[in-house]
Amino acid sequence: MQPADRRDRRFHRFVVMGWMLVWVVCAAAVTVDSAAAQGQPAAAQATAEDNNPRANFWRAIRRGVEGYSAVQGQETNVLIQGSGENWRMARERLLVPIVSGLLGAVLVIILLYHILHGRIPLEGGRSGRRVRRFSLNQQLVHWFAAILFVLLGLTGIVLLLGRSVLIPLMGKDAFAVSASLSKEVHNLFGPIFILAVLLMLFSYIRGNGFSRIDWLWLKRAGGLFGKGHVAAGKYNMGQKLWFWSVVLIGTVLCGSGLVLDFAVVGQERWIMQLAQISHVVGAVVLMVAGIGHAYIGSVGMEGALEAMTQGEVDANWAKEHHSLWYEQIEAGEGNPAEGTKAPQAGSAPAAGAATSGR
Amino acid sequence: MTFLEFTEGPMWRFAAFVFLLGVFWHLAHWLMRRHPKDLSKPLGSGFAGAVGTLFRHFLPSPHFLSRNWLVTFAGYAFHLGLFALVLFFGPHIEFIQTHITGFGWEPMPYWGFIVACQLAFAGLLILWLKRVLDPVLRLISDSGDQVGTLLTFIVMLTGCMALMQSYDFLRALHMLTVNLWLIYFPFSRLMHAFTWVLSRAETGAVYGRRGSSL
Repeated sequence: MQPADRRDRRFHRFVVMGWMLVWVVCAAAVTVDSAAAQGQPAAAQATAEDNNPRANFWRAIRRGVEGYSAVQGQETNVLIQGSGENWRMARERLLVPIVSGLLGAVLVIILLYHILHGRIPLEGGRSGRRVRRFSLNQQLVHWFAAILFVLLGLTGIVLLLGRSVLIPLMGKDAFAVSASLSKEVHNLFGPIFILAVLLMLFSYIRGNGFSRIDWLWLKRAGGLFGKGHVAAGKYNMGQKLWFWSVVLIGTVLCGSGLVLDFAVVGQERWIMQLAQISHVVGAVVLMVAGIGHAYIGSVGMEGALEAMTQGEVDANWAKEHHSLWYEQIEAGEGNPAEGTKAPQAGSAPAAGAATSGR
Repeated sequence: MTFLEFTEGPMWRFAAFVFLLGVFWHLAHWLMRRHPKDLSKPLGSGFAGAVGTLFRHFLPSPHFLSRNWLVTFAGYAFHLGLFALVLFFGPHIEFIQTHITGFGWEPMPYWGFIVACQLAFAGLLILWLKRVLDPVLRLISDSGDQVGTLLTFIVMLTGCMALMQSYDFLRALHMLTVNLWLIYFPFSRLMHAFTWVLSRAETGAVYGRRGSSL
């Protein structure tokens, strides 16, 4: 077994164990919180009935029973929306700690991995031959989505975690300014992300369909089990899952974001609350996966970043990480999964339909 | 004097002065250029060529459209969006009325602002990414192109941050970047906001006089 394979296996085990640890901690937090909440109502109810003859009246109000109001509008007959308090508690006591814990855990795991393992090297070194991996439009769409994602992610974190994390750090006044600017930036850039998701879908869908080889990749957890590299086409299973996460979770984010951003089509509060929860959960899943994607696509793996900055990769990189795709190129089939034309005459020598020398 | 008073007072007046002087100097220089007299017999109307080219070229070339559709649409989106934001956004009209013209006009509705904002931001991002990713464009771009784009983006971003006008600091930050943008404008390729009319008309006139159209 090659040292690099052993390192890869250790990394995968490390990541899986890290994830398990994170989920155990989250599940424990949820269980403790639910148990604490369930213990309260019975005692509180008995006390209220004994002391307050109008307890049932107020209880009905707390349950959101509609009364009468001269003001006409959305839910104006409801004096108190009880689920609003539940939503606030869920947001503050459940989402905020889980989100901050998850993001922190992922950052720590990646940092530790990088310190212990270092960068995944190109085992065969650089060949000097270049393989076109992405077209200019694909690169453009990727960075367009990435910039928006980072901008929305950062402003979203300020909005979600600001009250708990930033106020103690920067004070209420400074936080108020940062929250105001984050809200405006988040709301205005959010709808552009819809365009980014659509462009991502159309630019990258080719080659991201699932095949039998992907299940083999998944079965071996990308090289965790078995010997050697796992064969992969233009995109491996991890990349395909990331792509479909961006498209599907991105759609959830866009839909829930629109519900939250434009509260002008009669959506009730419970819809807004549901949209907010799904928005946060979806965003966190994407952010956690996105941090991993950004790491492995840049400093985590030698030769990976140039695929997106130059549109080309070294032939050895393609051979090591996407062997099936490389074989197709060598067989003269061009870049079958890319959706772009092979390089024009004059820009590439005859060494493979889509390879060029340097 | 507060930060906001400074950026909306002396700094704004200085920036506007530099902007106007610089633009005037550039345009005057362009108009006063001396061309050698064209002695050839005209085969068509230079004026018609100028006007025709000026308006015809608002439409994208079908050749470029098919090959660069994303960037073509981004170009229209950015310029039209920015035009609408600068001249038809309520707070801008209010500022122009207070500090420049003394009169205002009907602002666009809020949904129009949202649409214009999306178009402008998406368009500028795509155009800038094309500039840094395309090897040919990267080669022919210099720091002036990058600075102009970055400064425009920052002006738009700070404007977006100050949208609610809830905090003086955010409004002052936007005004500061606007002032810097105005000072930089005449010395940069941002001047194309004025010179595109002249250069396009001149090219159209030359070809119109030769009896052909662009």
